[in-house]
Amino acid sequence: MKPSPAIAFLGPATCVVALLLVAPLGLLARYSLNKYDPTELMIEAATPANYLRFFTEAFYWDVMRTTIVVALLVTCLCLLLGLPLAYRLARTTSRWKSAMMLVVVLPLFIGSTVRTVGWMILFAQRGVLDSLSVWLFGLHIDLMYTPSAVVIGTLSVNLPFMVLTLQSVFEGIDSRLEEAAQGLGAAPGRAFWKIVWPLALPGVGIAAVLSFILGMNAYATPVLLGGPRFQMMAPLLFWEFNTNNNWPFSAALGFILMATTLLLTTLANVLIPRRYRA
Amino acid sequence: MRNVPGFSRRTVLAGVLAAPALVSPALVTRAGATETFVLGTWGGDYQRLQLENIELPLVRQLGLEAVIDAGDEAPRVGKVLATRRLPRGPLDVVCVQAVQAYALADAGVLEELTPEKIPNLARVKQALGTATFAPHIWSPQIVSYSPERVTSPPTSFGDLLDPRYNGKVGFPDNNFFYVMMAAGLFAGGSANDFVKAKEVMTKVNANGLRLYPSTDAGGPPFKTGEIDIGMMWLARISMWQNAGIPVAAAFPKEGCILYVSGMVVPKNAPNKEAAFKYINAMLDPAAQLGFARNMGYLPTVTNAPLTGKVAEQLALPDPAPKLIMPDFAVTTKIQPEIADWWKKSIQHG
Repeated sequence: MKPSPAIAFLGPATCVVALLLVAPLGLLARYSLNKYDPTELMIEAATPANYLRFFTEAFYWDVMRTTIVVALLVTCLCLLLGLPLAYRLARTTSRWKSAMMLVVVLPLFIGSTVRTVGWMILFAQRGVLDSLSVWLFGLHIDLMYTPSAVVIGTLSVNLPFMVLTLQSVFEGIDSRLEEAAQGLGAAPGRAFWKIVWPLALPGVGIAAVLSFILGMNAYATPVLLGGPRFQMMAPLLFWEFNTNNNWPFSAALGFILMATTLLLTTLANVLIPRRYRA
Repeated sequence: MRNVPGFSRRTVLAGVLAAPALVSPALVTRAGATETFVLGTWGGDYQRLQLENIELPLVRQLGLEAVIDAGDEAPRVGKVLATRRLPRGPLDVVCVQAVQAYALADAGVLEELTPEKIPNLARVKQALGTATFAPHIWSPQIVSYSPERVTSPPTSFGDLLDPRYNGKVGFPDNNFFYVMMAAGLFAGGSANDFVKAKEVMTKVNANGLRLYPSTDAGGPPFKTGEIDIGMMWLARISMWQNAGIPVAAAFPKEGCILYVSGMVVPKNAPNKEAAFKYINAMLDPAAQLGFARNMGYLPTVTNAPLTGKVAEQLALPDPAPKLIMPDFAVTTKIQPEIADWWKKSIQHG
């Protein structure tokens, strides 16, 4: 086949990815083996000390556990809320469909940090929710700087991604298959479970992985809504970089976070039966 | 390559070679008449006030324009250390706290600053600067409290341990190192007594300490009633008062740890002459008074006396409180260890 000139456009993108992603990762890997020194910043070495520090101190395990629990919880809630919404959006023939899609996409028009500031106004003491609760029930709600606030905030960031991914998955499944199942006597629920769900499963898996990765790497939401006492991996990494200038340990934390995310994502893929995988 | 239809090494390389032609107009820089230098500084209010009080009125007329490298302090310090062996560093003027300035001087990366290079240095309060550090602003750390809910003003750091304030004690987390020095001063009589500081901070933590993720986040809780007492800079108290937050300052009887921030010039700064001129303008009385008026920090020069409302807000009590300058030789070495302890025992405790 004759090469298409359009393929030439792959060159710059490939170079950009190689330069801006792979090269810094290589540099980071090298840094993670160096020794930390407050005056010298880093001393060239090839020591596993930074990785050993993480794996031998209970504190860091605890932070990793919190991070995984938050990411899993947010992913489950995203699936629970996103699945019906995405399915309904995909199947609706309403003339308002475009407007409904726009409502789902709208939060993505605003940066996640700015949206988090909105949550801060809602959750603050004497904020909107607290004042409403006092007015209605005479009870104070102290949500700010709590794990619940972090889960709600991260959920709000991830949900549009989940809904958009799932909606396109359901759009790709021919609705006539469900109609055929129902024509053969299956109730709508059974038709969904037996026909749509197995076909959608690979896409659902991808959407869940997307949400899980976003949850594992969440930074602004845990910092702003969780406060300094709520420890997750990305804020911890930044603390080491920004407070102590400990680049080697920050680099090691980055690789550990990346490896854990990759490992859990691969495990999730294994859990999906082979015949349903993408 | 053979397996991908239409994908050959030659076409990919052609794309790579053609790419600069598409982006080159964006790389054309503005050829200006003014000379530029790089100012590494904090963002936000501080950067804005630097522009309004130093650069626009005093530096631009010298034909100089600052290129801003805004960010947090630790990465800025890291950048100076990481580029120390390069003949031309990335920064000309570096804004740092005195604690970090000492650490950089200890590493031997700073240019010596003298009145011959910077004439206004002759009028700097000697106790605040060093041979390589030009102090810009300073403020004592005080006990902050709500005058509405705290009936008798606090007298020392020890008031944070009072069970009356259980769950009502709080301050911004990023001040932890200065708070630890204040705890050491209270419990052990020395800002360097970090053993006693750890003991007393553990007790403050048990008294329902609330930590806030940024300095700005530490003010509104006094208004909402979330906290009644904490530790803060006198400068911030005046800023919060001006913003309508009901908060007051009490000078601890054991003494106040001083916050001093200023500027240094790396030895490998590409435009040292411009850096010296900028620092000289920073020490100008008009620029110093501008920062006192807008940010509540005290001038570091002897020829910028405060007057009016600012003088009232920032006045030190009579008799004058003990003002304690951190022992930088100690702080430089112990800060990483204290940061690690704070993270594991106070934040996570």
